[in-house]
Amino acid sequence: RVSSNGKPPKFQPPPKPVIIDRKTQKEERRFLSPEFIPPRGRTDPLKYYIERKDMIQRRKVFNIPEFYVGHVLAVTTADPHASDKSKRFVGICIQRGGKGLGATFVLRNVIEDQGVEICYELYSPRIQAIEVLKLEKRLDENLMYLRDALPEYSTFDVNMKPVPRMDHEDIPVNKLQVRMKPKPWSKRWERPKYNIKGIKFELPEHKMKAAEKWSQPWLEFDMLREYDTSKIEEKIRKELSEELEK
Amino acid sequence: MMPIWTKSGEKHAVTLLKVQDCHVLRYVSKEESGGKTAKLLVGGKNLSPFSKPESAHEIFKEAGVPRKQKVTTFNVTDDAIIKPGTPLYAAHFRPGQFVDVTAKTIGKGFQGVVKRWGFKGQPASHGQTKTHRRPGAISTNKAGKVYRGKKMPGKMGNIYRTSFGLKVWRINTKHDIIYVNGSVPGHTNCLVKVRDSKLPTYKDCNKNPPFPTFFADGDEELPEDLFDEEIFQFTDPSVTFA
Repeated sequence: RVSSNGKPPKFQPPPKPVIIDRKTQKEERRFLSPEFIPPRGRTDPLKYYIERKDMIQRRKVFNIPEFYVGHVLAVTTADPHASDKSKRFVGICIQRGGKGLGATFVLRNVIEDQGVEICYELYSPRIQAIEVLKLEKRLDENLMYLRDALPEYSTFDVNMKPVPRMDHEDIPVNKLQVRMKPKPWSKRWERPKYNIKGIKFELPEHKMKAAEKWSQPWLEFDMLREYDTSKIEEKIRKELSEELEK
Repeated sequence: MMPIWTKSGEKHAVTLLKVQDCHVLRYVSKEESGGKTAKLLVGGKNLSPFSKPESAHEIFKEAGVPRKQKVTTFNVTDDAIIKPGTPLYAAHFRPGQFVDVTAKTIGKGFQGVVKRWGFKGQPASHGQTKTHRRPGAISTNKAGKVYRGKKMPGKMGNIYRTSFGLKVWRINTKHDIIYVNGSVPGHTNCLVKVRDSKLPTYKDCNKNPPFPTFFADGDEELPEDLFDEEIFQFTDPSVTFA
C-alpha cells in the first residue's frame, strides 16, 4: 500500500468475526390448530369471534394437545352404557376436519382383525382426556388410504406407552411408503387429485401413466382459489395468546 | 350455525340471530288498523338515507330514528304498547322460551316440477323419449279442465316462511345475539322476524319474560351471556356419567 506521509500505514485490526447463532435465530415454531382459521365465505366475522371465545373457554378448562395427522392418540370419552362409565380408544389420526366448535378428528385402529374408525369432536364435553402417544407427521395430510393398505400399517397396541419426546422443536416426519392391498380400492389413490406421496405404488407403468390423464396442472395457478391466511393467522395467534395468558 | 351440547352430552345445532338496531317506529291503535289488536311497527338494520326520497323518511323522522331496511308489524295487546323510538334488544327474549322465526326463503328462480314439488319424474332409460323430469299427466279426461293450484313449474323460493316452536338456548347481551334451536329459513345474513311462539304446547312456557320489553336504561344489570339450564357451559369440567 502506498502511504501518504512516508510513514508506515496505521495498523488496522482485522474485522471481528460476527457469530450468527443459528439456534436462537431459528423462529419458534408456533402451532395454530386448523379449526381456528375461518373458511372463505360471506359470514359475519363476528360469528367466528364468538365461536373462538367459546373454544378458548373450553381450552382453558380442558387441555387439547397439539397434534397433526399421523399422530397416535388415546382418547377417553364418557359413556353412560359402559361399566366404568368411560371408554378409551387408541388410534392413528387420519383426518382433521371441520372449523370452529364442530371440529372433528378421525382415529383409526385395527382391533382383532377388524378395522375401526371413530370420528371424535374436539370440543365435545364428553371427551375426558386426549393423550398424544406417538408424535410423527406423515407425508400427507389425509391418511384415508390406510383403509386400502395392509392392516399392519393401521394396527397400534392399545396399551402402548407414550413415546417420550426428545426436542421441543421439530416434529419428526415419517417418510414411510405404505404397501397396499390389491385393487379395487375405495378411491383411486393413484390419481393426481389426491396427491398422495405416502403410498408405494406397485402398479404397472402404463396404469400410472393413464392416471396422469386426470391431472389438472392449471389448478395451482388459479388465482381465484388462493386463500392467503397469513394475516388472519397472525391476528388469531395474538388473540389466542392474550386470552390464554389471562 | 353452531353446535351446542347439553349437560347429558347430546349435541344440538343452533342458529345465531343478531338483533341489529331495532327500534319501535309507530303505534297503530285497534280502531285505526281495523284488526282485533293494536299494532306496533318495528324497523331493523340501519341504512343510508340517501337512496330513498324524503317522503319515505317520514315514519323514521317521527320516531327520531335513522332509515331502516325492513319494517314489520307485530300484533300487540294494549298492556304491551311501547313508545315509538325505543330500541329493542336481544334481552327481550330469555333462554328457555320458544320462538317462531319468519324470513324470506332462498330464491331458486324458475324451477321444474321435480325440484319444486318433489315429483318423481320418469326413468332414465328403457325407451323414454325426451321425458325424464316432466310432470306427466296434469288432469283426468272426466274433469275436462286443469284444476286451480295444479303443481306446475314456476318461480321457487323468495317467499316468506316460518319455522315454529324453536327453543332459545342462549342470549348474548353484549353483542345482542339470540341462539335459536335448529335451522331458520333464509340465507346467511338475511333479515328475520322473531316472535313468541303461537303453538298451543308452548303457551305457558314464557315464565316472567321482560314485559313489555327489556329497557337498557333500567336498573337491571344482565350478565354478558344468559344460558338455558340444560346447556353445558364451557367453564364447567367435562361431562361424566356417575
